[in-house]
Amino acid sequence: MFTNCSLGHCHIIVAVVLWSICVDSRKIRGISLSYKRFYRERKSFLCIDGSKMIPFDQVNDDYCDCMDGSDEPGTAACPTGRFYCTNLGYRSHYIPSSRVNDGICDCCDASDEYRSQTPCQNTCRNLGQRERAEVEGQTRVLGERLRLKQLLIEEGVLTWREKQAQLRDLQRVSDDLQTQLDDLRKEEARRKEEADALREREIGARETADNSPTSHYRPESPISVFKELDSNRDGSITVDEVQAKLSPVQDEEHALSEDEAVALLGGAHRVDLSRFEETLWTSLRTGDSVTIKGRRGVPGSLADEDPNIKAAVSAAEKASADLKRVEDAYETVYMEIRDLREKLSIDYGSEREFLFLHDQCFQLKVYEYIYELCPFSQVTQKSASGEVVSLGKWGSWAGPPENPYCQMRYESGEPCWQGPTRNTMVMLICGTETALRSVKEPSKCQYVMELQTPVSCQPALRQRGVHSEL
Amino acid sequence: MASFIERMCLYRVLVLSVFLSITQAVDRSNFKTCDQSAFCSRQRAMKPGQSSYTALLETLELSDSHLTVQLLNNNNKVLLLLELYRLQGNMTRVKINELKPIKPRYEVPDVLITDPPTELMSVLAQDEHRVVLSLGGEDWRLILSAQPFRLDIMEGPQVLLSLNSRGLLAFEQLRIRKDTISHKISSTVGSMWDKIKSVFSSKSQTDTEEAGEKEDTEKHDKEKVSEGEEEEAEEEVDQPGMWEETFKTHADTKPNGPSSISLDFSLPGVEHVYGIPEHADGLKLKNTDGGDPYRLYNLDVFQYELFNPMALYGAVPVLLSHNTHRTMGLFWLNAAETWVDVSSGQGSSEVPQTDVRWISESGIIDVFIMLGPRPNDVFTQYSSLTGTQAFPPLSSLAYHQCRWNYNDQEDVSAVDQGFDEHDIPYDFIWLDIEHTDGKRYFTWDNNKFPQPKDMLQGLLDKRRKMVTIVDPHIKVDSSYKIHTEIRSRGYYIKNKDGGDYEGWCWPGNAGYPDFTNPEMRKWWASMFAYDQYEGSMENLYTWNDMNEPSVFNGPEVTMHKDALHGPWEHRDIHNLYGFYVQMATAEGQIQRSGGLERPFVLTRAFFAGSQRYGAVWTGDNAAEWGHLKMSIPMCLSLGLVGISFCGADVGGFFKTPSAELLVRWYQAGAYQPFFRAHAHLDTPRREPWLFGPDNTALIREAVRQRYTLLPYWYLQFYHAQRTGQPVMRPLWVEYPEDIATFSIDNEFLIGRDLLVHPVTDERSSGVTAYLPGNGEVWYDVHTFQRHDGAQNLSIPVTMSSIPVFQRGGSIICRKNRVRRSSSCMENDPYTLYVALDSQGNAEGEIYIDDGHTFKHKTDKQFIHRRLSFTANSLSSSDLSPDSQFPTASWVEQVNILGAQKPDAVTLTATDGGESSVEFEFDPDTAVLTLRKPGVNAGVNWTLHLR
Repeated sequence: MFTNCSLGHCHIIVAVVLWSICVDSRKIRGISLSYKRFYRERKSFLCIDGSKMIPFDQVNDDYCDCMDGSDEPGTAACPTGRFYCTNLGYRSHYIPSSRVNDGICDCCDASDEYRSQTPCQNTCRNLGQRERAEVEGQTRVLGERLRLKQLLIEEGVLTWREKQAQLRDLQRVSDDLQTQLDDLRKEEARRKEEADALREREIGARETADNSPTSHYRPESPISVFKELDSNRDGSITVDEVQAKLSPVQDEEHALSEDEAVALLGGAHRVDLSRFEETLWTSLRTGDSVTIKGRRGVPGSLADEDPNIKAAVSAAEKASADLKRVEDAYETVYMEIRDLREKLSIDYGSEREFLFLHDQCFQLKVYEYIYELCPFSQVTQKSASGEVVSLGKWGSWAGPPENPYCQMRYESGEPCWQGPTRNTMVMLICGTETALRSVKEPSKCQYVMELQTPVSCQPALRQRGVHSEL
Repeated sequence: MASFIERMCLYRVLVLSVFLSITQAVDRSNFKTCDQSAFCSRQRAMKPGQSSYTALLETLELSDSHLTVQLLNNNNKVLLLLELYRLQGNMTRVKINELKPIKPRYEVPDVLITDPPTELMSVLAQDEHRVVLSLGGEDWRLILSAQPFRLDIMEGPQVLLSLNSRGLLAFEQLRIRKDTISHKISSTVGSMWDKIKSVFSSKSQTDTEEAGEKEDTEKHDKEKVSEGEEEEAEEEVDQPGMWEETFKTHADTKPNGPSSISLDFSLPGVEHVYGIPEHADGLKLKNTDGGDPYRLYNLDVFQYELFNPMALYGAVPVLLSHNTHRTMGLFWLNAAETWVDVSSGQGSSEVPQTDVRWISESGIIDVFIMLGPRPNDVFTQYSSLTGTQAFPPLSSLAYHQCRWNYNDQEDVSAVDQGFDEHDIPYDFIWLDIEHTDGKRYFTWDNNKFPQPKDMLQGLLDKRRKMVTIVDPHIKVDSSYKIHTEIRSRGYYIKNKDGGDYEGWCWPGNAGYPDFTNPEMRKWWASMFAYDQYEGSMENLYTWNDMNEPSVFNGPEVTMHKDALHGPWEHRDIHNLYGFYVQMATAEGQIQRSGGLERPFVLTRAFFAGSQRYGAVWTGDNAAEWGHLKMSIPMCLSLGLVGISFCGADVGGFFKTPSAELLVRWYQAGAYQPFFRAHAHLDTPRREPWLFGPDNTALIREAVRQRYTLLPYWYLQFYHAQRTGQPVMRPLWVEYPEDIATFSIDNEFLIGRDLLVHPVTDERSSGVTAYLPGNGEVWYDVHTFQRHDGAQNLSIPVTMSSIPVFQRGGSIICRKNRVRRSSSCMENDPYTLYVALDSQGNAEGEIYIDDGHTFKHKTDKQFIHRRLSFTANSLSSSDLSPDSQFPTASWVEQVNILGAQKPDAVTLTATDGGESSVEFEFDPDTAVLTLRKPGVNAGVNWTLHLR
């Protein structure tokens, strides 16, 4: 139903007024001047398809003799015939013979109803005047529209260039970031290695020193502490075990209450190793609240003690943070590039004239619904209750091959109850302003919209022209 | 729009448990089988045997018009009164009612057009065992046997038909309910019990199932109690379902108790029976032994199944029997739920026999036996009882374009324009329920149809018309005038408790006007006046849908049987409801024009007599090849019982047809009486030009063929109106002695002269058509090729083929100048197709009037002429000299099929003047074409071939 766009393929017919050399004595009804040569009055008439020769007085005698209907251009006798409305002062055209004398005025010059009861007025002059005025107006408006179109095309070109430049800039940024990333990754790895190496060395030193019973410096891992606290070796630390083994830093003689023990276990009565690491281990490491009975200091921390290690660790952490920051930036830029590329890969018309529509949305209220078209993105319908339903996402251009840019298809919207998914066909029509003009639902869940825009206007030659036969 | 519609549909599904899914076929569990219908299972449990009824011959009385005799039920001693009438036109009427019912039983009014005139009956012989009555003629007799009671209709020594020969007469007398307790204690206490019971039963509507169970237990108790209380009459035992019945969640309170009736008929020598529509089944009725009987109970069946005896939208309780000697009819005049068992087999002495048993839930036995003997005699007999097909406006025989829904005025105008752009004629465009303001009939949606008169005027300017839907469910809405008027006038059907009955339908909560009330019908008709139905004009007509009535939340999607129409229960009148709706609507259309214009009303539900009010269609079919095929037997069955103006939704209502199916359906539909395309809301658009230029051309051609034949269709409907003959006929009607035709339902005749064998198979490369008539010839209407009768003809087909044949011996008038609408063709000339029989003769008729008024009847303004070709002369002579009608139409061409080349052709006009006529002869096809005789179609003339 919607495969053809109205481009106005009716070209201006140049009226060639040929005064026939042989001027007929009588008018043959229903033919155009250009066909007059077939109807020169002689004794006989040859059907235009050459199939049959009949006496000339059987032309327009209200009986169909020729298969092609050519003997009855002025009557309704032939099923395949056609009648020429001369429509002096307006546009000439053919109508099927079956509309001759059928009681309905078809030709504005009333020539088709020469023998019917229906009184038809000759309205050609009025129609012609009106149409000429309209066409003049339209021509004027069309000029304006085409100017707008040109502007939009130019705007599109600028936008395109801008976007291309933007893309290039982004690409450059991305390249920079890539370089930075490479450096930072190396830097981070180096810093980490340094810190680790220092730590190794220190641990080695402590192991030696550990032989001294007074040493406070025992490298302790969460596992070893966990094992130490887990008296019954059941793989978990309970409130009882905490109360038995730990005491407040300030007062080793004071026993921990059950509530305090539970709090140290992160609110649980029993923790496994991993929960231990998240809860009690953290408290032990900071060393400012509880400690293992009979032991001083904070387990597992070396940094406090050695400024070298401390500096190395902090340098490694900084390198890591720097890397993260640049990675994030790179990610952002990468996304931007992807979006932009996607956007630039859409077909915006032969002159990218539809590019300007990209970031716009158009609304129209029809009865109780508000429809919104965001070209190249999606179509939605919002009900009075605020419910939003997708009528389709951008699919493709869908006009006929000779003019693909007159129709857009939006598909895969919300599925219909018991039916297919909703889809929308957007017909682009010529107009001054860019706006949504109509929304229809000819079949259930199949929508048709009209989007008016100067970009869809075509130069005058392709518009309907006025022709009048003199 | 969509989401609204969706909501509506969802709501439909949520509210109506019946509509489980739109994509599945019928949900059978929503509809009763005989077993689930208490009276049907009760009656059907009774097996053939000796009848318990005796005719008390001593009570026999014979008057001028009829005979009466009492029948005694030997078991319960209840007396019935049998009335026998000999009716004019070779019919017998048998009425059986209770002699003294405790309250009146329903007798169907308004279906018979008159009190059928009777003829004298005389007693030929009588003894204590039997009475022999004369039915006229030489040897037509009726034998009434006393013990056991039976009736035999005889012709000479041959039994044509027997009543109660299998002893299945059963007549449940109305009775006072004897309850367990009340039966034992005194009557005063008993009446108290009645009060308690009535409280209980009003409560029972809410929690029905429990109540039903309780009742059942009570009944069982009661049975035990009543045992051993034998009196002289055998104590009748209440059976479950006699005083209350529950189906699914719906309780049917039965304050009147059991009231069903049953009677059997035997048809010796009969193997083929037809009729009792509406069922989606073959033309020839099937044996129902071992399955369910055919059911007649007007129901809105969602996505009905094919080849199934389930009830559908309409019911005509008329059955035809046929064999090579005789055609007969049985008209069971009862509007209650009815089941019909058909059993064919060998009777005594190896003669084939068909037994038919009718079971109805209430009312009386009132049966008309139409004795034929020829098919057209039965049609005449039946139409003398219930009337003939209304003569429709000519334009309604043309093409109708419908869809649920054309959305708004702009849509209507675009579709109208589309037909002109593609040069496809149409006469009517239809608006379904969405055109209204919230399903309030007689109103317009203000947004979508703000200027209905402008729209109608636009159609009128093109000489086209519109139909809007007006359903009988009325939205309960105090701001809706139609509702408030009906309510204040008390015209709604009442529920069993006396309040207005309400049910769910398209508008939500709805009331149902009581169309059985003549005052209501009068008021309804007045609503079609131009000043009442705002926005209506003379080219607006009406469609009555959902008039079974459809009640979404009712039992079996229809009305509760205990709803009340004045003194009667819905149970009694159910199958009449749709009949009355269409009657009142058609009357409204007649009245709005001051009685001048013929109405056009389409209905979905119908009953015997509905033919008097307009057209019917076969309801909500589906876009499937099987449904296309089924359209033929369904319309043939309707035609046999008087309803000629029948059609199926072209393209299929549910689902989406392939382009091929759509084209084939147009081709078939163009040759069926009511020709309308229709589509469900959920389906994609399918206007004829949406399937590519090739398919558009095929559809255009099919529609154009319809338009060229409109004069022939119109003539057939003129005949149908006058004689009751079906327009679309099974072959056996015209070839009653040709057994090969008896079961054919994939082809049919239009009138006598056109035989149509539509292509109804996918990717078909050929069909085999049976051309009947030994010694007859048939002409392919497209190629004029001649074929002999009495043969199966293989016809290769392409997508453009519509196999249609004209009978040799017939003359058919066409109008070959197909225009935008039939009205535009009014004054166009005729082309005659004279198809010669093997003797070189042919005959036909032409009928012309204004096409839309009653002036043909009231002022005798019409032309009816005989066209006759014999002895090389074709002449037109007046069949109705006392009528007149001025016509501008003339004869433009005569084609004589099967002709020989003449030397000259001359025309003799009315004034005696002679002129020669040009002609052409094609020796290949043997067609002689006479060029432009030019005579007026309304005068005498003769063409001589020399």
